[in-house]
Amino acid sequence: MQPIFLLLIFSYCFGALMALLFGASALGRVLAGTGAAVGAGAGILLGAGVIVSGAPFQWSAPGLLPTAGGLALGLDALGGFFLALIGVGALPAAIYGVGYSAAYAPGSVSLRQLGVMFNLFLLTMSLVTFADNVLTFLLMWEGMSLTSYFLVVSEPGQPGTVRAGVWYAAMTHAGLALLLAAFVLLINGGSSAFADLRVTAGEITPGLRGAIFLLAFFGFGSKAGLIPLHVWLPRAHPAAPSHVSALMSGVMIKMGVYGLLRVGLDLLGGGPTWWGALVLAVGAASALLGILFALMENDLKRLLAYSSVENIGIVFIGVGAAMLFGAKGLPAAAGLALIAALYHALNHTAFKGLLFLGAGAVLHATHTRDMNRMGGLIRTMPRTAFFFLIGSLAIAGIPPLNGFVSEWLLFQSLLPGVGLAQPIVAALVTLAIGMLALTSGLAAAGFVKAFGITFLAIPRSPEAAPTRQSSHEAAPSMQWGMGLLVASCLLLALTPTWIVPGLARVIAGLAGVGDALPSFTLGLSLHLGDGFADVSPLLAALGLLVVLGLAPGAMALARVNRSLRVSDSWGCGRVDQTPRMEYTATSFAEPLRRVFAELYRPTKELTIDFHPESRYFVQSIEYRSEIRGWFEEILYLPVISAIQWLSRYVRLLQSGSLHGYVSYLFVVLILLLATILWSGG
Amino acid sequence: MNDALFAQLSTLGSSLALLFGITLLWRRSLSAYISAFRWQSAALSALLVAIGYLGDDPELYFVAIFFAALKVIALPYYLTRMEKQLGGERESQPYVNVATSLILSGLLVLLAYAVTRPLVIVSTLPTRGGLPLAVGLIFVGLFVVVTRKKALTQIVGFLVLENGIALLAALATFGIPLIVELGVFLDVLMGFLVMQVFVYHIHGTFESIDVDQLSELRY
Repeated sequence: MQPIFLLLIFSYCFGALMALLFGASALGRVLAGTGAAVGAGAGILLGAGVIVSGAPFQWSAPGLLPTAGGLALGLDALGGFFLALIGVGALPAAIYGVGYSAAYAPGSVSLRQLGVMFNLFLLTMSLVTFADNVLTFLLMWEGMSLTSYFLVVSEPGQPGTVRAGVWYAAMTHAGLALLLAAFVLLINGGSSAFADLRVTAGEITPGLRGAIFLLAFFGFGSKAGLIPLHVWLPRAHPAAPSHVSALMSGVMIKMGVYGLLRVGLDLLGGGPTWWGALVLAVGAASALLGILFALMENDLKRLLAYSSVENIGIVFIGVGAAMLFGAKGLPAAAGLALIAALYHALNHTAFKGLLFLGAGAVLHATHTRDMNRMGGLIRTMPRTAFFFLIGSLAIAGIPPLNGFVSEWLLFQSLLPGVGLAQPIVAALVTLAIGMLALTSGLAAAGFVKAFGITFLAIPRSPEAAPTRQSSHEAAPSMQWGMGLLVASCLLLALTPTWIVPGLARVIAGLAGVGDALPSFTLGLSLHLGDGFADVSPLLAALGLLVVLGLAPGAMALARVNRSLRVSDSWGCGRVDQTPRMEYTATSFAEPLRRVFAELYRPTKELTIDFHPESRYFVQSIEYRSEIRGWFEEILYLPVISAIQWLSRYVRLLQSGSLHGYVSYLFVVLILLLATILWSGG
Repeated sequence: MNDALFAQLSTLGSSLALLFGITLLWRRSLSAYISAFRWQSAALSALLVAIGYLGDDPELYFVAIFFAALKVIALPYYLTRMEKQLGGERESQPYVNVATSLILSGLLVLLAYAVTRPLVIVSTLPTRGGLPLAVGLIFVGLFVVVTRKKALTQIVGFLVLENGIALLAALATFGIPLIVELGVFLDVLMGFLVMQVFVYHIHGTFESIDVDQLSELRY
């Protein structure tokens, strides 16, 4: 274990150093990417090693940072899982980044800063999973937040980037403030090592435990992007370079899940029913609202960002259900729910990373994120289109891909909750099942939109037209990055019989979930014990392959002796088809916009110019409809204006007068001395 | 006998230093500021020699020599040169007028006595009588920095504050190690040089060394 650990640390540092030394040159990009990729690979090995061997890894340096217990690192199975998850997302992103960052116009992005921060981001995020005391955890957590802030503002020249950075920094630091409060309450004057906290947490009063849990939940929730703390995702993800978006969305928000599991289930050791109910309710709301907002987006990367809110919501449904069942004494169902949640987190890393990388390739080729200016890209970038299609199918939960496996597991685990004796809880679980089902359906619609509008039909703008030089297939390293993620999607889809027992080891130490392993019968198919159903994705895939193999054969047979005719599709009698006749991204989502009008509250503005002679002749019609974020306006505007009001008064201190500043010093000195005199005599 | 002489001498020297410090408050021309600083430094050098002799610490002679070279000769020379180059500026309108300044400085010295009282009571040093005066000198120096407008007078105020700290160190410890003392001198010299550069820049930008004008820099 030790050499792999050192390799992990060394290669990230190597990558950062090489980026610093060689900067924007091709050598610097390749070496920075190599460092990150090797570090990520070491992370996968180390994480998987700890899970398989079951022996935690320990490494501490109390001499380093001697305050508050020093730097203590240790990796148990839970941390190992998240370390491996980071690796699964980071390895392809690092490879992809080598080609992606080459395309930036000179001067628009500091590639040196990008390379250094990318490696440091991965290093600090990996070390979060190692943290074995409060100081290390918070230090690495803050390192991760700061480096990712710098990654978000990599392109400061683009409109909106700096604002996105401010939103991200504000949200992440608000979360950090909550976490600080939670840990201060948790330490309660004692030792800050996690091992000691597990013991002392039992002696805390229930009221205080509830407060700690709430602080931790909202603190980690702001990092995870749970509604209503999700506001930074649709701003920061589009602003960041695409391989960074893939990491932030696919990997970093999972650190929120890790934090909640660590604090809520490991350190605090689980809690009363309302903890789980709260997490379940917020998770279900995030899943449904996330996908509903995603459907209305015409910006490809914003759509993906909202879809991350949806998926993190699904993960939290699983976590909440696990906590709920744990409190209700259903360890088998709790274990299954948690396994499903972690499985979905891992799956989301693979397919959301893939989709963001695909969106990056599209952005790279067309220089726009507006889906209404895309179309027909499948002809100019067929490989990217194929990769994006796999990602879309996976995220929509189409069998036999990986999204299906984890969502199916989650459904199965939720079903026992319907029969719980407490009616409110049973109703909540039932509602969550319904919302999850609706979410899955809407997600399918959303990704039909994302894939169809982007890649199919004819180009809607000159940027997407195949004649243009700019519309081209992605660079080889970018294709490798996406290909790796396609492979992981398929691997995760076809091997649940190996992955689920591994996840059962991961959650073995957590409170309330019990030993979930005996309830599975494993083989070619996954049998979940009595009262649950079976599934075998491998068999399903084989069946599908057979069907898909047969279909073209049958078609080929049917087409014998008939010549192949290539022609336009039927255009309602029109001779010429133009892009203006196509479905747009907006019109595709129009039915849903009407159904959920109460939620979206779109503003409509219709301007018709009539001919001056007669109202029967219309000169032009202009229709404008926008979806304002009323949700954010209600919640965040009062907070923002309160802060601005307050800072006007704080600003009075900054008088601009040098004498003023010096006299602050003088007055404080005199006051301090006077206070000592008055109090001490 | 020796101790009584020591106590009287140290109180006398400290009082002189404080007196020269307070002199700053009722003089207006920069040359008067500079000569007050020079006399104060000279008094302090003499006091250092006395402490070195009576306290039997020959190292203090070296300190006194460096002190005199820096603060009696070098810094006043540079200050005078600056004053000439910047053209006879006067501290015509301080933030606090002379009468109020004197009253306030009296209060500050009282505060210094009050603050150091616990220390003086428990101390057995022969030099303890000078401790409140040294703290008072620090306060007065800071007061000059806060209330005077011209950059040059503020520099002198800062140097007086520094003298106060040096006096406190000498009285309370009979001389800190020579190497530390030298470091402090170097610090003062560097600080002075940096401030000198700034004064020239302020003068070049605003045609005046009124620090008031800097408030225009506020965003």
